[in-house]
Amino acid sequence: MRRLLRDLRARIERRAHAWIRRRQGADTDPVELRRQRIYILPTRLGVAYGAMLCAMLLGGMNYNNNLGLGFTFLLVSLGLVTMHHTHGTLAGVQLRLLEAVPGFVGSDVRFRVLLEHSSNVARPALEIGFTREEPGSVTADLPPRGSSEATLVLAAQRRGRVALERFVVSTSHPFGLFRAWAVVHPAYSAIAWPRPAERALNPPLTATDTGGAQSGAIGAEDFAGLRPFQAGDSLRRVAWKAYARGQGLYTKQFAGTDVVSHVFDYESLAGLPAESRLEQLCRWVLDAQEHGEAFALRLPGTSIETNVGPAHRERCLNALALFEARETARA
Amino acid sequence: MREPNAPSRLRGLDWVLAALAAAVGPHVPDLPAWVTLLLLAVCAWRWTADLRSWALAPLTLRVIVVLVSTAGIFGTYRTLNGIEAGTAFLVLMAAAKLLETRTSRDLTVVVFIGWFLLYAALLREQSLSQLPWLLGSAFLTAVALMRVHAPSAQAPARHIARRTLQLLLQAVPLALLMFLLFPRLPGPFWGVDSRSEARTGLDDEMTPGDVSDLSASGEVAFRARFSGATPPPEQRYWRGPVLHEFDGRSWRRPSAQAFPQPQVTFRGPAIRYQVTLQPHARRWVLALDLPSAWPEREITQSFDLTLLSARPINNVAAFDLTSHTNFTAGASLAESMRRKDLALPRDGTNARSVALGRELAARHAGDPRAVVSEMLAMFRQQPFEYTMQPPRLADNAVDEFLFDTRKGFCEHYASAFTVVMRAAGVPARVVTGYQGGEFNPFGGYLIVRQSDAHAWSEVWIEGRGWMRVDPTAAVAPERIQGSLIDAVADDEPVPGRLRDASPIWMRIELGWDAVNDFWNQRVVRFDAQSQFQLLDRLGVDDPDWRALGLGLAGSLAAFFLVLSTYLAWRYRPPRGTGPAGCTTSSSRACASAD
Repeated sequence: MRRLLRDLRARIERRAHAWIRRRQGADTDPVELRRQRIYILPTRLGVAYGAMLCAMLLGGMNYNNNLGLGFTFLLVSLGLVTMHHTHGTLAGVQLRLLEAVPGFVGSDVRFRVLLEHSSNVARPALEIGFTREEPGSVTADLPPRGSSEATLVLAAQRRGRVALERFVVSTSHPFGLFRAWAVVHPAYSAIAWPRPAERALNPPLTATDTGGAQSGAIGAEDFAGLRPFQAGDSLRRVAWKAYARGQGLYTKQFAGTDVVSHVFDYESLAGLPAESRLEQLCRWVLDAQEHGEAFALRLPGTSIETNVGPAHRERCLNALALFEARETARA
Repeated sequence: MREPNAPSRLRGLDWVLAALAAAVGPHVPDLPAWVTLLLLAVCAWRWTADLRSWALAPLTLRVIVVLVSTAGIFGTYRTLNGIEAGTAFLVLMAAAKLLETRTSRDLTVVVFIGWFLLYAALLREQSLSQLPWLLGSAFLTAVALMRVHAPSAQAPARHIARRTLQLLLQAVPLALLMFLLFPRLPGPFWGVDSRSEARTGLDDEMTPGDVSDLSASGEVAFRARFSGATPPPEQRYWRGPVLHEFDGRSWRRPSAQAFPQPQVTFRGPAIRYQVTLQPHARRWVLALDLPSAWPEREITQSFDLTLLSARPINNVAAFDLTSHTNFTAGASLAESMRRKDLALPRDGTNARSVALGRELAARHAGDPRAVVSEMLAMFRQQPFEYTMQPPRLADNAVDEFLFDTRKGFCEHYASAFTVVMRAAGVPARVVTGYQGGEFNPFGGYLIVRQSDAHAWSEVWIEGRGWMRVDPTAAVAPERIQGSLIDAVADDEPVPGRLRDASPIWMRIELGWDAVNDFWNQRVVRFDAQSQFQLLDRLGVDDPDWRALGLGLAGSLAAFFLVLSTYLAWRYRPPRGTGPAGCTTSSSRACASAD
């Protein structure tokens, strides 16, 4: 029985969403919540309130009691007034995307949304979520003529562009008896980067000062010194003799490793499935960035020249994310 | 943004507890003490638990509380139905809910119970004087609800109270319109509980010698508005229940009533008036002795000429009546009635009084008029005293009163007189009701208070029928001409004495009574007829239910329109939006914008 009801609810919800989508069309940034697109229904508490008022009305009529009836009418009227206020709290709010924050698959992407309005009255307790049923993840209070920022978080499940198909701004201010909501179909999307691979393969090395293609093998020839072991270092390069002497774990450095640049090439990872290659490339990009090393990225059809810095890193990660990606949507 | 780890204190709990206390307040005198104490204990515990972050009650404890208290209510009231038991039940439900309040939703349920309790208070008592408290409590309850749903814990209480007040004030116009236009359907739709609760008023039993608490009450019993001149004090006998059965101590109404209706003829001018009764939970309608016309649909007349409403009078009720003070009732007396009204207990109590009656009968050879006169003369001439503080009387109450104490008020005199008459072979009965009343010049009506309660006798005389004899008038004529205060000694505590000493205070009280009368007439008694009159005055030809419905729908629509317009104006963007507006309008507004 419960399941049946839940299914029915879900179906009604889907139909309603589809209807609203058809009615409103897609939104363009910034979005103003006009009166016509704000819907309102009693909350569960509101339904209970209504039931209470019905009981009071029946009792007042039965006992022919004018004061009981008068009190009931006052509460009915109060309910209707708060319904209007709930609706009014939402009408006229403007929404703007501040930033779509990318993230790795497995974590999440974020949309920083600015809520603003120009009226001289505060709008408290605005809530932002993906559906009307689960509104309360984020609340925002708008001061008079002010603005407030809210962040929507989406789990990044698949590499590529994650579109925010729909979100809901709602409020049940002031009494929690009604919930007014507006559905926004924004043109927002954020990029989900590939999940970085485990540190297993070493990146290909290239010494830029000598120019030309260099084999990674050269780096293994001339011993140059030791540096403390880091996670991901090849076990073959661990200074086992130093370890045996009780000096701790060290990795052998070779003259050839004095490189300042890598070329991360999709094609160099032949033998791996496509997604794994991208994940590996992602790991290399992250590590290189972390160590302050320059790198270039080669993907079939895309080539990003050697560079350093966060912008370069992001450009490369985006290229990895969008490489032959299907767009995924959520909400 | 909401803090990820919200403080464990439940927002708005203190307000909800205060509102609940305010809503329970009016019920405390009527609630069983254990209910009030239980609620207090739970409130105190819940509040402390909130402060100290104690764990809430486990499910088993809550179930036990609910079961035990339901059983307790059933044990106290023998029912869970009706306003009284329902109220107690609601209070206990609030207590049980408080045991498990974890979320704002739980608190909201408590708020709803608070509102329901206020509603129950209004169902029970419709006086104007309790209204400020109830409205204040309703406001406090609304504040509590907004506090529970407030966006952040930091919002100052002052703001929330102001905002709630705004909302309530905005709700008033529509509430008024609904009150005026919502159709009042006649009659109850399901059984209204016959209230067992004690209400001040006449009883259908009278025990002279017990403490009289009615006369100590200055409460209004009813108000009467005469369309002509107000009758003089000595004619103001308001007929209530008639008592026939005497067991030596107490007078009662007969239980099985199958007596023929007596013939009544009226003479002289008709007196037309409206009686507005305060609820007394009984059926009788007090009418000027003797009523000659009444609304037949709502009222019947008993065999002993008392008017009875079809239903117990649980709300303020008004009736248009006609009376004649000059009448002949019961030219012939049915045998069953004669037997009833001659009966005396045969266990030998009050032997001296019975002997007195027989002696009187013998002396006057059965002339009832002479018997009556001699008995009244005895009251007048012997040292009888009218007092509201008579000594307690034991088993032979009538004998003790007539021959020993000789101190008493109307009940003693009426009872003793009736017993002696019966012993003398004159059919007699005790009529209870009210006598007198105070004219209120501010409202142009007569106020009859509980302290005007009175008892007198009726004797049946061949050829004359039932005749009113008021032995109290023989002892204390001031009681009949004036009021209780005039009749009793100066040091007896009688309601209104302080008031009578101060003209200003008297005017204030009469003015307040006029306000209460207006409240009763215009608000408490507002009914379908008043609605049609209102529509008629507004120019609606031939008003009917449809006109009411249309008016209601129209006012709803108009209200929505006005409210929407107001809200659009309230949330309007300031004039000259954008940077251009900043140069001209106040810089403060611009600075406040992000």
